[in-house]
Amino acid sequence: MRLIKTRIVFSTFIFTLFILLFFSGEKTASLLSSVLLSFQFVPALLKVISNPGILVITGLIFLLVITLLFGRVYCSFLCPLGVMQDFSIALSRRFGWLKNHSFQKPLGWLRYSILALTIALALFGSFVLVNLLDPYSLTGRIINHVLEPAFVWLYNTSIEIPKFFNIYLFQKETAYIPLLALVITLLFFLSILFVSARYGRLYCNTVCPVGSLLGLISRFSIFKFTLDEDHCTQCLRCETVCKAGCINPDDKTIDMTRCVACFNCVAACPQPAIKYQHASSFKTQNKWSAQRRGFVIGSVAAIFSVLLVFNDRTRAAIAATRRNQKPPATPPGAVTLRRFTQSCSACHLCVSACPTKVLTPSFFEYGAAGLMQPLMDFEKSFCDYECNACGKVCPTGAIQPLPLEIKKLVQIGKAEIFEEICVVYVDHNNCGACGEVCPTHVISFIDKNNILYPKVDTKYCIGCGACQLVCPTTPKSIIVEPNEVHQTAVKYRHRRRHRRGQDTQEGFPF
Amino acid sequence: MTDENKTNRREFLKKGLSLGLIAGSATILGRPDFLLAQNAPQGLPDLVAVRNGEPDALFSKGIELMGGMNQFVKKGQTVVVKPNIGFPRLPQAAATTNPLLVKTIVERCYAAGARRVYVFDNVVLPTSANARNCYRLSGIEEAAKAARAIVVPVDDFSYRKVEIPDGKTLKTAEVHSLIFDTDVFINVPVLKHHSSAHLSIAMKNLMGIIKNRMEYHLTGLDQCITDFCLYRKPDLNIVDAYRVMMSHGPSGQNVENPTNVQVKKTILLSRDIVAVDAAATKIFGREPEEIGYIKMAHAQKIGNMNLKELKIVTFAM
Repeated sequence: MRLIKTRIVFSTFIFTLFILLFFSGEKTASLLSSVLLSFQFVPALLKVISNPGILVITGLIFLLVITLLFGRVYCSFLCPLGVMQDFSIALSRRFGWLKNHSFQKPLGWLRYSILALTIALALFGSFVLVNLLDPYSLTGRIINHVLEPAFVWLYNTSIEIPKFFNIYLFQKETAYIPLLALVITLLFFLSILFVSARYGRLYCNTVCPVGSLLGLISRFSIFKFTLDEDHCTQCLRCETVCKAGCINPDDKTIDMTRCVACFNCVAACPQPAIKYQHASSFKTQNKWSAQRRGFVIGSVAAIFSVLLVFNDRTRAAIAATRRNQKPPATPPGAVTLRRFTQSCSACHLCVSACPTKVLTPSFFEYGAAGLMQPLMDFEKSFCDYECNACGKVCPTGAIQPLPLEIKKLVQIGKAEIFEEICVVYVDHNNCGACGEVCPTHVISFIDKNNILYPKVDTKYCIGCGACQLVCPTTPKSIIVEPNEVHQTAVKYRHRRRHRRGQDTQEGFPF
Repeated sequence: MTDENKTNRREFLKKGLSLGLIAGSATILGRPDFLLAQNAPQGLPDLVAVRNGEPDALFSKGIELMGGMNQFVKKGQTVVVKPNIGFPRLPQAAATTNPLLVKTIVERCYAAGARRVYVFDNVVLPTSANARNCYRLSGIEEAAKAARAIVVPVDDFSYRKVEIPDGKTLKTAEVHSLIFDTDVFINVPVLKHHSSAHLSIAMKNLMGIIKNRMEYHLTGLDQCITDFCLYRKPDLNIVDAYRVMMSHGPSGQNVENPTNVQVKKTILLSRDIVAVDAAATKIFGREPEEIGYIKMAHAQKIGNMNLKELKIVTFAM
């Protein structure tokens, strides 16, 4: 019982941190991200590949070690989607919609196929399945697409009230979410809620690639749940509380690949029949199948051989087939388009953290390379010159953390002006909206008869998109052409044209 | 400060200015509509320029020469002070109005008996995060709040659409509701270089009270700036030329020590928005005829850019 309480308290705490991670500002988020998300499997794995840091490596090793020691404790203690399902299961049981869990036949073929496909696709340069199925990223999107807009709407509505008392507060903003991305998130959210309320942790044991992978490791874990035939009275209490449906009371086995280590069964068993103990203290289960073992060894061998013989060109080929249209602009810190799409799990933490909401989820803009990975949408907003939040919060290293001074010179695209539609060139009226907002003095103005004509010097341009955002013409007369490989802009040097200090002129010019 | 003001007013009254007496009685009777008239009461200057002082002292002297704060703000009135908070810049960048000047104005409004003083601006890139940065970095939010002003962030709900019947290009504008809901409108621009309008001063500053600024840019910036003044002119314009951004405007340099800022320690006050812009243009070192919207506004009789025709009082501290 104590273990269950610990689990509930701990996992609720972790889940609260997740909510905080997405809802609190940039500072808290970057701190929480580095600590909390180092212990999330997919982000930690991706970061170890893309941009390893001590904490992340420790986190990944920690996850592998605890799985090897204790089984899939990650799924019950750390995984936010798991906790969310546990909430749903608890509610469902309280309202009597789900009375008892029961043993479910393993869908081994399906789950290992999904796992193998996910890994294979990722290795061949398409992150579509990682983006769709990773439980952490999925939770991130649920929070970002569903909970956050609801919260912001509520906040913005409620700040109307203190206005009557002359207290004015700044509104909050949410990112634009493309309809298809929202539909997919809602579909996943609702079906996971439904499935968990009806069948327990079925998602974790059938679809979730992290669950399947950790399940494979749990097979060899030191501590295992065992059902002692000598003490078992066939009361079936363990089966009815097993969310994973992995206890088979008929042949007295517990499927460790599916067990999420929630400890419900241990507490439910009135006899000393269910035990959580060291593997050496009991006989090896005779239920192992040569086929399954073969599959495991085979897939591990296959994965490693693919890794070894992996040819970088195949990835490039896949990336090249993905689209006919121009790729979107990637956030500063992405370094290259390919690097970005091949390390982003689409958790949308950066979308939440971006203060100007220029980072918006894509849908299929990156093509086969990735689904819903964020892009810089300059029709919606602009990238704040003084901000480097996205890189600070990114848990996978897809957006590298850049010191502000460096970020200010990272050129993610170049502004291009179209004189044939620009109002100044067409109507000979002053406009200059683009020049007003440019933070790096890219746009200069040529004075002809007191009309100021804009000119662009792209060597200073960092592609922040402010000019595109404010350009009043339709279509825009100035747009940012994204750089697939980010460049470095030239730092603008101010010439000292005007003397500083007190001006020497005496009196008044009138 | 208040004592000084009182003696000054008495001085005016002593001189037996009939309009001074009317102004006094209007104070008692509370007829602010008289005071909203654009032309200065007889005997009082059309335009005041003060230099060589700190922002607070400059304003105190300037408003004294204008006839005192009571000329503009009556007991129990609500006031909206509209500085330039358009850019996320530190005060030394001179892209935004001097915070000490804003603070002093708010204080003097309250001292004159104002019931409430609001401060707001619509920032140039109106996202919530950017607005927050502008309010904070400019130092205006802090300074205004210290003087008990109500600092209002702009949101989409706060605009009302109005017609501008005589507008040549600008026919409608979405104006912030504070402009309608308050009794006195004080415009506090900063004088600075502007990449697309040559200079940003008082008339240009009014783009911060409307929402459809992109329409201005699309249909002709100078004409729209001019047309809007047909709808509403501020009751008082106070031009901050303490620090003047001489190039790279309107956003300026995003550094601690900008190289394009000249300290001129000057402020200008006037009821006439065109005159104050013309005078500020001269201070900047250019001619009013070169600035599109000043020329247009003069032609459309919004105000007078011929400084020679005006009664100007200057004071060097």
